[in-house]
Amino acid sequence: MLTLAIPSKGRLKDNCNAWFASAGVTMEQTVGARGYRASFAGFPDVEVMLLSAGEIASSLLAGDIHLGITGEDLLREEAPELTGRMHLIKPLGFGFADVVVAVSGYWIDVSTMADLDDVCAAYAATHRRRLRVATKYAQLTRSFFAQARISDYRIVPSAGATEGAPAAGTAEVIVDITTTGATLKDNGLKILDDGVILKSQAQLAASLTADWGADVRTSCEALLSKLDPASPLYAMLAKQLP
Amino acid sequence: MAAFPYYDSPAIDALNSQAVTLLKLFGEKGYAREEPSVLQPAEIFLDRSGEEIRRRTFTLMDPSGRELCLRPDLTIPICRQAVQEGRKFPARIAYNGLVFRHQPGEPHRPTQFFQAGVELLGLEDKAVGETEILTLTIEALRAAGLNDFSLRIGDLALFGALVDALALPTQWRARLKRHFWRAGYVETLLYWLGHGDGKAKLPGTRAEIEALLDARADAPMAGRSREEIIARAMDRAAEAAALHLDPAVADAIAKLLDISGPADDSLARIRELLKTAGINLDPQLAAMDARLATLKTLGVDPARVQFTAHFGRNMEYYTGFVFELWARDKEGPVQIAGGGRYDSMMEMLGAKKTVSAIGVALRTERVLAAKTFAGGA
Repeated sequence: MLTLAIPSKGRLKDNCNAWFASAGVTMEQTVGARGYRASFAGFPDVEVMLLSAGEIASSLLAGDIHLGITGEDLLREEAPELTGRMHLIKPLGFGFADVVVAVSGYWIDVSTMADLDDVCAAYAATHRRRLRVATKYAQLTRSFFAQARISDYRIVPSAGATEGAPAAGTAEVIVDITTTGATLKDNGLKILDDGVILKSQAQLAASLTADWGADVRTSCEALLSKLDPASPLYAMLAKQLP
Repeated sequence: MAAFPYYDSPAIDALNSQAVTLLKLFGEKGYAREEPSVLQPAEIFLDRSGEEIRRRTFTLMDPSGRELCLRPDLTIPICRQAVQEGRKFPARIAYNGLVFRHQPGEPHRPTQFFQAGVELLGLEDKAVGETEILTLTIEALRAAGLNDFSLRIGDLALFGALVDALALPTQWRARLKRHFWRAGYVETLLYWLGHGDGKAKLPGTRAEIEALLDARADAPMAGRSREEIIARAMDRAAEAAALHLDPAVADAIAKLLDISGPADDSLARIRELLKTAGINLDPQLAAMDARLATLKTLGVDPARVQFTAHFGRNMEYYTGFVFELWARDKEGPVQIAGGGRYDSMMEMLGAKKTVSAIGVALRTERVLAAKTFAGGA
């Protein structure tokens, strides 16, 4: 049985359903309207699971499901090295959002990562502790800051409302996801000129560590060619499978 | 070596007997053994070492939610203890124990290994301290039965003094020093110095800057005072105007950073370059000469001492003289020891004033493997 996980609620779920419908694939919820399992009409060997976007990323990494639709930001945060663990089958053209580095608009002297580097070093020297970056994207932040050659900082894990951290005094800088930038602006924050870490959108992704038996491969090929007849999606995936 | 090493009976016996030999030598030279706990509060490592070490540190929560870690080195807990106790200086401390490092992307490297080492804290005369630690390092390897090794040396203070001697804005000096150890990036910085860094121009007068800040009074201060921001904004505007490095000087720096080779030869080339650029770094060069003289006295073949101008350590706390010792095991070249000067650590850990500090750590399992390889070859 091929397992495919899609987001269980919100706009991502609606966009997924619309995308399936446009490809002529109808989803049938099996366990009541609020159930967490479903199936596709005409694909008896495909089991559809409704999970949270974060769970989909970790289930793909763990190899618990074959396919999943979720934000690229969550996939890359979950698995900094995708090679050998996950394959991004297709960007879906919805769920657009950027993961960005933002600082207070009051910091008029900071507009680039190079500025932030100076400020991090000066802050550590003046305040005798490292500047704190609040984020739920610890991995993405670490590798982006390493690329920008910044080391004088520390990450403060944030569970939610990250944009409030600078005003609340729990962190000086944030790394967060934004679609229009309005929430950041409302909180007096600005995005650094070269502070876009990832331009994310929803991705159809495959786990390379799941159990890919012959029948699963057959179901997958059938489903992918129905979802996008014009592209060799399955052929590309098959090259990556062990 | 495996990610999770298992020491069989001969292996652990050999390691233990080597440790006894090393600690006996350290003891004879006045270094008493101490042992910090394996489990440490995480903050001291995370706050002092930065994200690079954090990435390699195993952290865990205790049941009350406090963040702990498995010690990624012994230097920091030993220094912290010395600060907290208000130890009398100079203090000489030896250790032998396991350290733990996550090895992201390198699954064949061990997640735990033994280190034996010494720390010399608060000895005012730096040259004497460096001679003492270099001598002890070489003696320790020989006592462990390893005579075939080479050295790589460098000095972060040399580059610092060079940057200080240049007519550059303060922030650029700090930036160059901070990034000294990142190959490639320093060259980018030098390029920016010559050609500008493409940053947006800011107004430069205090009144203009204050007006900008007043217009943003709703935004959070986010941990920096108004004065801090004004001072840096004025610096930045001033440096944009002053940002120009004589191409001849930039060229000399780039050439200097490129120097790597037998130490005697490298130092001669540095002297020549500095003469052309009209920069005097005599005290720093004299210190390097003294270290080379020490090594000669110890009978180390000068041809096996490599000086690399670009050589820094990726543990971000070194401040001056740095060194590594290398040997071979059956897989190829391995680093068997590393150390150097870290004069800002004690103050960062809460000491009231600067305490000079220098130390070395031996990778004892590698020393043993190198000795076995040399004996069998």
